[in-house]
Amino acid sequence: MFFLNLSLPEFLAILGSVSGVVVALYLLDRLRKKHIVPTLRFFVPTEKPPELKHRRRLQQPWSLFLQLISLLLLLLALAQLRLGSPDRSSRDHVLIIDTSAWMNARNGQVRLMDQARTAARNYVRTLPSSDRVMVVRADVLATPAILFESNRAKIQQAIDQTQPSAGPLNIDEALQFAARAQRLRAQRPGEIVFIGSGRIAADEVPSSIPPNFRYISISGPTEHVGLRKMGVRRSADDPDVWEIFVAVKNYGTKLRSVPLVVRFGGAPAGTRTFALKPGEEANAGFQYRTRAAGWLEARLIGADAFSQDTRAILELPPRKILPVTVYSNQPDLLRPVFHAIPGVEATVLPTARYDAKLNQGIVLLDRFSPPVPPTGPSIWLAPPERGSPITVQSTGTKLKLTQWLSDHPLAAGIRTKDLEIATSEVFRPAAGDAVIAESDGGPIIVARGGKSQMVVFGFQPVLSAMKYELTTPLLFANILRWMHPDTFRSWESTAGTVGTINVDLEAELDPSSIRVVTEEGQTLPFTVEGKTLRFFTATPGLVRILTGDRELVYSLTLPQPGDSDWKPANVRYGLPRRSPIGQSSRDIWQWLAILGAAGLLIDWLIYGRMRRMVRLAPAGSRSALWRKAS
Amino acid sequence: MTQEPLIDSAFLQKLERLAIQWQKSFPGLVGGHNTSRFAGPGQEFLDHRHFHHGDDLRAVNWRAYLRLEKLFLKMFQVEPRLPVRLLLDCSQSMATGEISKFQYARRLAAALCYVGLVRLDTICVQPFSQELGDSFLCGGGRHRFVSAVNFLTNLKPGGKTNFFEIARQFISKYPQAGLLIIISDFFDENDSSRPLQLLADFGHELMLVHLWADEDREPPWDGLLDLTDAETGSTLEIGFDSNARRNYTAAFDEFARGVQRIGLRNGGRYVGLSTNTAIEEAVFGPLVRSGGIQ
Repeated sequence: MFFLNLSLPEFLAILGSVSGVVVALYLLDRLRKKHIVPTLRFFVPTEKPPELKHRRRLQQPWSLFLQLISLLLLLLALAQLRLGSPDRSSRDHVLIIDTSAWMNARNGQVRLMDQARTAARNYVRTLPSSDRVMVVRADVLATPAILFESNRAKIQQAIDQTQPSAGPLNIDEALQFAARAQRLRAQRPGEIVFIGSGRIAADEVPSSIPPNFRYISISGPTEHVGLRKMGVRRSADDPDVWEIFVAVKNYGTKLRSVPLVVRFGGAPAGTRTFALKPGEEANAGFQYRTRAAGWLEARLIGADAFSQDTRAILELPPRKILPVTVYSNQPDLLRPVFHAIPGVEATVLPTARYDAKLNQGIVLLDRFSPPVPPTGPSIWLAPPERGSPITVQSTGTKLKLTQWLSDHPLAAGIRTKDLEIATSEVFRPAAGDAVIAESDGGPIIVARGGKSQMVVFGFQPVLSAMKYELTTPLLFANILRWMHPDTFRSWESTAGTVGTINVDLEAELDPSSIRVVTEEGQTLPFTVEGKTLRFFTATPGLVRILTGDRELVYSLTLPQPGDSDWKPANVRYGLPRRSPIGQSSRDIWQWLAILGAAGLLIDWLIYGRMRRMVRLAPAGSRSALWRKAS
Repeated sequence: MTQEPLIDSAFLQKLERLAIQWQKSFPGLVGGHNTSRFAGPGQEFLDHRHFHHGDDLRAVNWRAYLRLEKLFLKMFQVEPRLPVRLLLDCSQSMATGEISKFQYARRLAAALCYVGLVRLDTICVQPFSQELGDSFLCGGGRHRFVSAVNFLTNLKPGGKTNFFEIARQFISKYPQAGLLIIISDFFDENDSSRPLQLLADFGHELMLVHLWADEDREPPWDGLLDLTDAETGSTLEIGFDSNARRNYTAAFDEFARGVQRIGLRNGGRYVGLSTNTAIEEAVFGPLVRSGGIQ
């Protein structure tokens, strides 16, 4: 037996105060009363003289006793006296509410989320008032909305504020989280209740189900077709062509024929009609040529109970063109080199027209040393000894190219050796300069980093033996990519859903060269295992993965409903009738309140004014007799 | 603060069909609704006098004018009009009780005044406590009722009741017998039956309206009581219980029966009223049944 609302000292203090007030009022009520009467002639003193009656003597002890007992009972009711042991009185339940994207689906006019909230409120109503409830919102993550709390208003508020997210349901993690929370925080574990549709991926069936699990199922629509994935990337053959990939899945149980429309900036880019069997996933590929930036939209035509995944939008960036200004008095020498590199627009000018203010992009100086060196990135081919940015040590003939700095991006993929250069300047590189190519006479290609990147050749490659080697265009391509990597970075965009994202890399990369950032610029943690990059986000939005020359953009705004409804066996289903687990203590405050009120009523009937009223009633009838007699 | 009116207009309309009744015939006590063995006013010729401006032309002796060409006015012997006398107890004992007996008595007196005025009776309201107070005489129709109400409203309770002195003064002041309505609780430190008998012996027809509050008849209190007489100020400490209450009520009833006997044995009437009874119910119930008004 214990009090739920008050501690024993509080109870005794209140009882003492109230009892004192009652006794004082009782004695005050029983004091000798003064009355003014019209005459004293009819008052006959009683047999006991009044002096014998002490003023403080209890004249109606049973009345006082009844009042005190009644007040004690009422106070016990207020303190919620319970029969049983306090440690076994209340239980801590975990209420998992499904907040996956599928809860946005409509069942007629009502969302599944609204049905789930109603079911959650009904479940809380069935619990005893002393039970505590922890509300957990489960989608890809299990997020506690409120810790174990007995305040029903706070629980109600947490339930009311629960909204569906954009991610799928990870029921396994939610159950593990609930079990862990009960183990660590609960005084006496109650039930783990899952309320939702339980729509999960086929491979995400929970490994184990807690024994105290209850499933309150929210049944939703069964027929649904949605976009599973959408991707876009530039064609390897033609940078102006976008290759579009769309995956559609039939989640329902019937054969569905669904038309798909792809639009770019509102203009049709392709259509396809899918005939999908139950559970079938189909892909469609499109090509669309454009250099402009804009929105690419894929939309499934037709009404559906879950409309969130019938439309996906990706943003296509504009085509980037790298300008190169070539100062050469022999324009035909280098023009083929730059034409061979896509995304480059070369402007060839004679050396006499050199103007540092007119320079755009990368500047190439062919055997020419300008009076004012370019401020941006530049390529120097056999500069005059006096104007060379790298000190010329000597000029050699018949130099044999012996070594490439293979770990430098400028020399990536270049293997040519034993190439004889007829005439070349040999440089004396400064500290920090990188010797890209070295001959038996010394460095002949040197690169300098920093704000003004430059690559200095000791010879004119097109006029040397390198002219007929693949090394020349490859080397220039490496130089342009090194100086302007954004232009040559491959770009892909994919629409998907939040959660754990696996990205296939082209090669095993150094994790330090990889960045995974959100559209707000925040860096996301990731892991690299072999050629697979893995990261997690629960927030819908854009995530950029920068891997050197490749940029992947994930638009994680496409919700993904589960493949099937999870229906575990051997668990309790539905709402409990009352008090889901047998109670060890019992509420008796209702009976105490009734007894207390009855006691006060009896006291009023026997000793209170009611008695006087009843007693006066015959007097009225007697007076009526008097009137009749008169 | 506005004072509650003694009587409302709806009740007054109901009172218009009533009339004060008396059983004896009194010389001078007139009323359109009562037959009398005595001649009425203006029937007996008394004398002539010269006509003065403003005199009633109907009383001119036209025969004498034709003969003497002078205006003479005939004068008749007018019978004195004897009013219905209403003795209203204004002692301090009337002010006790949860419902004030004094207020109840004033409302009852107002109702009787209106009944009398409507029937062209003359009413003399005579307040009293230890002696007779200033009286108020009204007659001549219902339009005089307002002044009667004003008089009753201005009355204040106070003093102790002395029926002997009242009877003595009343007999001296009003030697001609008539209908005497006494509204009182009849609580007197001395015996009130002998003065009432004296009034009856002097030929007055008594109509005793006995008022009491419920607590006057059955005090609701229990335990130790510290009682104070409202009129004399004497106190009494008493232990009061159900037995004492029974004894008290029996004594009160015996007292009331004594007052009733006085009223009835001299050809008068007795009406006992609790202040718990509504005025309308009291008038149309006990008062009408007693025959005092019909």
